[in-house]
Amino acid sequence: MFVYEKKLQYPVRIKNPNPKLAKFIVSQFGGPDGELAASIRYLSQRFSMPYPELAGILTDIGTEELGHLEMVGTILYQLTRNMTPEQVKAAGLEPYFVDHTAGVYPQFASGTPWTAATIAVKGDVITDLTEDMGAEQKARTTYDNILRLSDDPDVNDVIKFLREREIVHYQRFGEALGIATEKMNQKNFYAVNPAFDR
Amino acid sequence: MEECTYKQGALPGCAPLAMAYTPAQQSSEPAYENKMALARGTLFPGLDLPFMNLVNTPENLSTPLCELMALDFVVQELKLYLDTHPEDAEAFAALQTCLRLSCEGRKRYVKQYGAITVDDMRYADSFTWADAPWPWQWKED
Repeated sequence: MFVYEKKLQYPVRIKNPNPKLAKFIVSQFGGPDGELAASIRYLSQRFSMPYPELAGILTDIGTEELGHLEMVGTILYQLTRNMTPEQVKAAGLEPYFVDHTAGVYPQFASGTPWTAATIAVKGDVITDLTEDMGAEQKARTTYDNILRLSDDPDVNDVIKFLREREIVHYQRFGEALGIATEKMNQKNFYAVNPAFDR
Repeated sequence: MEECTYKQGALPGCAPLAMAYTPAQQSSEPAYENKMALARGTLFPGLDLPFMNLVNTPENLSTPLCELMALDFVVQELKLYLDTHPEDAEAFAALQTCLRLSCEGRKRYVKQYGAITVDDMRYADSFTWADAPWPWQWKED
């Protein structure tokens, strides 16, 4: 069960709308390594996680990612708030605008709609935790790239926060993998998959 | 072997092949003060690894809402730490202190500024859940 809290994890206060930035930041909403993918990945993987404390870390990080989805959506909303058709054209946002107006839609920067094809739920303890570590690094790289492209201090303030969260989550997933291996066959971690073989 | 600093963690001297190892964080200390933690995106200086040295500072986090955010952020950081360090009694005590403070801070905030969860309607005279702006509707004063 989830309960909504009417507050962001970190404040988003963008003074100057700038649809140009929204064109690529949308990828962290619904792109291949975005926050929607992150939350759905972890919140799906936890069902087959046989170790309760690791189901805990997947639940807690997955839930935080939903909060990040809300923050990135907020960035997009504030960057495109009150924009005029002229500003849409000047930003080159016509293809997005014609389909979604100023709505916030989960898609890649390239325009591909969000797809579950970008996440993995393999149902294997080592594989899923390794996927999660990779996923955190991919999101971190994307935020690095956004910081390279964006010159808006209000946007970058939030992006820096979100980027640092990827590093903390990477550490926790790494520790989770360590906890998993302690529980597994020490002679051969690959002898069985504890998520399936009882 | 040399003692690990707060930026490091211990690894096994010999470890099985074909497995990835992440140095485990040794302690929940040192820790940033609440608002500093929120500004930096982590409670833990050892995990604070910014891109091109671009860092946020806490001076823009002084509103009552930001104070609550900072407290809840420390709770989140301690929770994730405890998920992988459930035996750390010191971190658990810190979590409990923060949870109590957050509970009190939340009550005060809700009274003055409006509901955070629908449950907060228990203090309201009428159903005002949607009256205060939604979190994405920030406007410059």
